[in-house]
Amino acid sequence: MPSPMALNPPSRSPSIFKKKKSLSQLSSMATAASYLSAVHQADTRARSHDNSSVSSTPALSLSSSVTASSEDTILNEDDENNCLAYPFTPPTSEQVFTTVHTEFGHCANEAYRCVSKHDYSKPVQEHSIEEPPYYILLTTYISYLILLCFGHMRDFFGKRFTKSYFTHLMPHDGYAPLNSDFDSFYTRRLKRRMDDCFSQPVTGVAGRTIVILDRYSTDNNHTQIFTGGKTRALNISSYNYLGFAQARGGCADAVEESIRRYGVSTCGTRLESGSSELHTSAEALVARFVGMEDALISSMGFATNSTFIPALVGKGSLVISDELNHASIRVGVRHSDAQVRMFKHNDMLSLESLLREVISQGQPKTHRPWKKILVIVEGLYSMEGTLVNLPRIVELKQKYKFFLFVDEAHSIGALGPHGRGVTDYFNIPPRSIDVLMGTFTKSFGAAGGYIAGPKILIDALRLHGHSGLYAEAMTPPVLTQVVSSMASIMGVVPSSQSTKSALTLSPASSIVTLKDGAEELPGMAPSSMLPTWMNLHPALADGSEARMRIRRLAFNSRYLHQGLKKLGFITYGHPFSPIVPLLIFNPGKMSMFSRMMRSRSTPIVVVVVAYPATPLVTSRVRFCVSASHTKEDIDMVLRACDEVGGILDLKHGVGERWGIDEVCKRAVELVHSV
Amino acid sequence: MDSSTSVALEPVLSFLAFSLSKLESGFYRIPGSAVVARYVKSSHQNDPGRTILELILVIFAIRTLLQSRTRTDRSGKHFIKFSEKEIDELVDEWVPEPLAQPLTEWEQRDLSSVPVISGPNGPKPKLLATGKIVTNLASFNFAGLAGNEKVKERALETLQKYGLGSCGPPGFYGTIDVHLDLEHDIAEFLGTEASILYSQGFSTISSVIPAFCKRGDIIVADRSVNFAIQKGILISRSTVRWFDHNDLKSLEDTLISVEKERKKRKGPLTRRFIITEGIFERDGEMVDLPKLVELKLKYKYRLILDESISFGTMGRTGRGLTELYNVPAEQIDMLVGSVANGLCSAGGFCAGSSIVVDHQRINGTSFVFSASMPALLATSGSEAIIFLRNNPSVLLNLQDNIRAIRAVLEKTEGITLLGHRASPIIHFCLRTQQQSLAVTQLTYDYEAEERILQDIVDDSIANGVLLTRAKHLRGQEMVESRPTIRIAATAALSRKEVEKAAGVVKASVTRILSKRR
Repeated sequence: MPSPMALNPPSRSPSIFKKKKSLSQLSSMATAASYLSAVHQADTRARSHDNSSVSSTPALSLSSSVTASSEDTILNEDDENNCLAYPFTPPTSEQVFTTVHTEFGHCANEAYRCVSKHDYSKPVQEHSIEEPPYYILLTTYISYLILLCFGHMRDFFGKRFTKSYFTHLMPHDGYAPLNSDFDSFYTRRLKRRMDDCFSQPVTGVAGRTIVILDRYSTDNNHTQIFTGGKTRALNISSYNYLGFAQARGGCADAVEESIRRYGVSTCGTRLESGSSELHTSAEALVARFVGMEDALISSMGFATNSTFIPALVGKGSLVISDELNHASIRVGVRHSDAQVRMFKHNDMLSLESLLREVISQGQPKTHRPWKKILVIVEGLYSMEGTLVNLPRIVELKQKYKFFLFVDEAHSIGALGPHGRGVTDYFNIPPRSIDVLMGTFTKSFGAAGGYIAGPKILIDALRLHGHSGLYAEAMTPPVLTQVVSSMASIMGVVPSSQSTKSALTLSPASSIVTLKDGAEELPGMAPSSMLPTWMNLHPALADGSEARMRIRRLAFNSRYLHQGLKKLGFITYGHPFSPIVPLLIFNPGKMSMFSRMMRSRSTPIVVVVVAYPATPLVTSRVRFCVSASHTKEDIDMVLRACDEVGGILDLKHGVGERWGIDEVCKRAVELVHSV
Repeated sequence: MDSSTSVALEPVLSFLAFSLSKLESGFYRIPGSAVVARYVKSSHQNDPGRTILELILVIFAIRTLLQSRTRTDRSGKHFIKFSEKEIDELVDEWVPEPLAQPLTEWEQRDLSSVPVISGPNGPKPKLLATGKIVTNLASFNFAGLAGNEKVKERALETLQKYGLGSCGPPGFYGTIDVHLDLEHDIAEFLGTEASILYSQGFSTISSVIPAFCKRGDIIVADRSVNFAIQKGILISRSTVRWFDHNDLKSLEDTLISVEKERKKRKGPLTRRFIITEGIFERDGEMVDLPKLVELKLKYKYRLILDESISFGTMGRTGRGLTELYNVPAEQIDMLVGSVANGLCSAGGFCAGSSIVVDHQRINGTSFVFSASMPALLATSGSEAIIFLRNNPSVLLNLQDNIRAIRAVLEKTEGITLLGHRASPIIHFCLRTQQQSLAVTQLTYDYEAEERILQDIVDDSIANGVLLTRAKHLRGQEMVESRPTIRIAATAALSRKEVEKAAGVVKASVTRILSKRR
């Protein structure tokens, strides 16, 4: 959102807030100091509340005008977490923020924006893997070896001396065990030891910050005990790319209205009287959004793949799948009768040689030609952050005549200058791809998924996919979230002049419309496609807010990638990918990393992944950047990584290194340098 | 010249001899080396041919070990070698089939006849196509929870606190406290140790089955289980034995024969499962649960019971068949139900012991790899359980309505009512001359019957009653059942309304069937 603030240099303005920060850090040390800072903070809080309410009253309706918090979304914050609840720099009187800072961070600095777009003057980046030093690899293997030895030893003795722990793994009473001790070895011996890093229960909105329920274990993670306490932490883990996970704001208002009007369920499957007008309009909107002829919607993202792929391919067909494709795709392919072959992750040479082989050889044994070949790739890979080499695949498609299925679960909304996913990023017409699949869980803050393609295909899928007949339809609140967030990304074409006048309400957004008016936007949403009762507020309706979100996401992603590189970490993935994996290697460091990040004075929650989700050696922490993060949040993550990474010896990257302060200071330069 | 080279070589040779003796002594110092040396000596026996043979064996063994497990077709005997030019030609020649065939005339009609509801769905929804208000005998709104104000209220509260999406899988900060609450509520409601929540009803059981059943395990399943179970069984790669539909005698025979086979083969003890449904989605039959549990305990099988239809509808407060038959829910190892059908929200669950549930938290594919369900749908489910607990009369109304519908339709000429008389879903198919309902013999024309039934559906919608055919993926289901119309009873309508609606259905049936004669 541009504002008069953008004219100022991006420096911190009022000094009292700096003081506040330093004081709050002292707070845990001395009672006198903490008392002082509490008083001080109460004062500044009152001021910032004051500021915001004054500035926002003319512009906004009641429910979405909160700057800092409302009673529902915030805990009685401990003072130390204050930098999560309140911005570093309080808003000036001209600035209007329509979001709750804990859900969607306030950032008015126009310099912290970037456009995600492929630069065709450079070749498509190949998936490059930086190798760690040998001693890291060696110690990683040794750690697993120790784990194996000790684990098996403990199993051996445990089965003899502490039988009660193993009864469910041994045959008893004529029943075979549900799970053999061998199959569950990693679960028991590796995962359980760091179970505190997984499945952490949370409460509230999974936005910029998240509130975790404190828990501890007294029996080596067999059981977790909740203390009843809650901690607000910076959330760099949720798939909330565009920051639409909000309990306040235009989309939430629309959802509220939909619950009042439609209830929470449509009571049935799509083909057996569970279809609502909302489904039809949402499907039309999705088709328009992705630029395809038609689209269908399914109530679960996983099921979109697992129940519709079997309707695409059958006996005599071949599926060529990237080796790192998501489990839902594998399940879907297994449900069908098609054969499957894999190619090396994102390796176009491997794909081409495989294509040449399978087309020339035909079906196994019979050598009959394949009925059809479907290549399934993901737009953005969720564990690697790599981007599919779409231009090359489309070239190959011309030559080898296969059908192309792109799973845009992570890329839709998150990539491209208009948030339309990989096709938008590479500026490739969407219709040069046969099937576009995506989910609403990630960028749209909803749930479920879609499949878009030519009308003939989608109609066939509606009838022959498993979901349409057997699975419950998407519920009205979810549909509304999809429609409202998607429409706000597209921008709504005003139906009449009367709505025009509403635009002038928010000065910030009108500037954006002026600036971007000349830019050609693919497929704005005609207001006839939205339910008549849905009134998006102006900044959402004209697309300006979503555009800001897309640009902030691009900036944040790029900044975190480049920042981590400059700090000396080994990262994977495309610089525009909001998924930023940081390689940890040693399994023991993984849990340490997670715990150290969580126990910082400003807690940060991270996702750590290890074998078997990744190859054995490349354990990693996976950051998911969101548009809701401010530049200061990314600074905070970088600073934390710098400290923790230093202690855990994670900095093994090659190339030029900068200090953390320099990285933070030269962020804008860093982002635009690649 | 000659001597100078030998002089130059001398230190080299002496070094070689030295290092050889060093190596030898070093070799003998390794524990067990003597055995190896003795073996090599004895196998050599002054015959180089034998040594070469042994060497070849060793090399072969190493090669086999190094060879990748998944051999590509390239090395297979069916592989044909082509030159690059030939491959190019083959690629040019190859014409794939289109990805999708255009719909047939019947399929098009099928798709366009799907009713779309304008506004909220409930007992009396408005149809988008005609703008008419119809009585709903098609949607799953058994307890009448659709549009319940309390549920809405709770959903709104949740929305204000949690927003909508969970934005992550349960493992990675997608487990919200309301999910744990609903899991706890369901477990407490049913009386099991724990339960686990999946975000789609259909994907629940097709994920629960492969989480437990692996290759080599034995599944004994009903022949007419629903599609989701079939898919789950397919993906589990277990050995499957089928028993006749809802025939517990046939089940027992199968169990005995499996046991005999196992004794004959003297194989190791494998996991064994019985998989069946509480009320069958396909025809409304109900399983005799006490007998089933008895068999399962006798033959030491684990029971996976799909209560997608019976949970929320059967028993005094909707706990399902366990409540109806007064069987403790703990005796069912994996009790799968649908939050979407029974509680009018979305998703599904699997209840059981905490070991069963925890196992799924790591091994249930659609639990692990999918985002968790939106918070407000979870709290809607919790609220629905409170509603069921507090309003047992609702299910009495439901039973009343079921009886009323059956009473009217039983007297209708030309159709046969299927299923158990207490089942909330009532299927009926066309009556043929042959009274047998054996599904194995195709004594009927599938598509023709489908068309007649669709005519009945259309006619009754035109007369103000929303109906639907029970739709199946023809050719993909394991057993082709007869086409039916499926009525879903609801407690939200009064007995009078239901009787009137059933009367409309009856009239439609008579009208369409008489037209065809």
